[in-house]
Amino acid sequence: MSTTTARPVSAGSAPATVTRALVVTEARRMLRNPVPWACLALSVWALWTVRPEPGEWPGSSYESIVPAVTPLLFGISVAVAVPFHRARHDVAPAAPVPEVRRTLARLLAALPLVAMTVAYAVLVAWRERDLGGLWLGMEPGRTTEAFHTTAELSQLVVLALVAVALGAALGRRTSRLVALVPALFVLWFVVSVYWLFGMPSVTPFSVIQVQPVHLPAGTPATDPLSLPSDWLLVGSPHTTGGGWERQWVSAALAWWHDVWLLGIAALLLAVAWPRPGRRVLLAAGVVLAVAGVVGQQVVIP
Amino acid sequence: MNTALVQAALPTARAIRWAPAVCLAGVLVAATVLARSAGRPADVVLAIAAAGLAATVVSGLHDPAAGLLSAVPVSLMQRRGLRLALLGLPVLAVWFLLDSLTTARLSGPGPLLAVMACGVAVAVWAPQRRAVVLGASTPVVLFALHQFLPGGTVSDVLGWWLTEPWWVLAAATLLCIAGRRR
Repeated sequence: MSTTTARPVSAGSAPATVTRALVVTEARRMLRNPVPWACLALSVWALWTVRPEPGEWPGSSYESIVPAVTPLLFGISVAVAVPFHRARHDVAPAAPVPEVRRTLARLLAALPLVAMTVAYAVLVAWRERDLGGLWLGMEPGRTTEAFHTTAELSQLVVLALVAVALGAALGRRTSRLVALVPALFVLWFVVSVYWLFGMPSVTPFSVIQVQPVHLPAGTPATDPLSLPSDWLLVGSPHTTGGGWERQWVSAALAWWHDVWLLGIAALLLAVAWPRPGRRVLLAAGVVLAVAGVVGQQVVIP
Repeated sequence: MNTALVQAALPTARAIRWAPAVCLAGVLVAATVLARSAGRPADVVLAIAAAGLAATVVSGLHDPAAGLLSAVPVSLMQRRGLRLALLGLPVLAVWFLLDSLTTARLSGPGPLLAVMACGVAVAVWAPQRRAVVLGASTPVVLFALHQFLPGGTVSDVLGWWLTEPWWVLAAATLLCIAGRRR
């Protein structure tokens, strides 16, 4: 005689199984959405068109690399907004899985899109090395071998987290899905106009932070050779007033900017998150955002 | 003027979700003020504004009560026109405000009207289930492709709404008229 024994299911493992199943289902749906893939193709294309050319605005190619990620961020937000908007349907509150768990599952399902951005950041690093470096500054303070630092490239990944949080927040709180298209488009493409946020006083509050930051270095009468030799310089006719400016790139600034972005992501997630746990996200978001802004202000000379 | 349309104006205005459009206008005004303070030409900001505002107007064509209203003696095109007028007039006012705040070469309502007409034409001719989403996405796609594709014939054609707006407006309007019974 044979007996069949069923393995006892522990009380704790059942919700984990449900969450895993939800994550897999939502991830499949998000990855089947053509928008992030089309936007990834556009971002890669935009990245490939950037190459240093003689006579370019000093640092133009270096500055153009990071904003090329904008279409991808827009695509990620759209892909995440769709399942979060589905949670507004009346049937959802009656589902046997609590809302917190469903929200968590949707967020975890967006991780492949973040992984896509990690791959994009690696591609950016490879592309810059393939080009032999980008150009920054003008004689006598110039380099033709500038590479984005790890801190600057990490911003792309943190921006993907912000894109997920923004899509979740707008998807959950906007009554009509079609209204998300213009909203997400304007939000992402306005912040991609990097020179709007280029001033040292504004750049800590930017979303897509593009370095170098331009700092005053001297008047038109200043001898550039008297300035420190490791400064990357820009002078007339590329500066207002014709004086000398320093093109300043800082890994510390980029890391603190990541902290600011994580704060924004937490605040946006708080908008999408169900009531239990929302205060924790709000508090964490405020602390991170304030720390990020203060850190950037301290770092900027 | 059709009396039924006049009577429908107020309930339609109430049914339209104004909050996203107001927030979007606020973001665009803030960006334009920043561009003005930076002292640089804001052509790209105005192009984003044109595409974003046009997408907002086209997204306003989404009518949750469309099925219910299909029985009333006011044609679908007339109801679309009413929604476009209700949303289009405030959007034009926002556009003129943005235009007055900048010193951009891109000036006048031509690009906004042209890209809006393109979106409406797509919404009229696209399959009904996804018509409004496709229509609202049209200005976004036109802007993004023109921005990121390298200079050439395709990029030039995609940028006609910026360089030859009145011709594009005329062509898109003709398409809308041709599809008035759809």
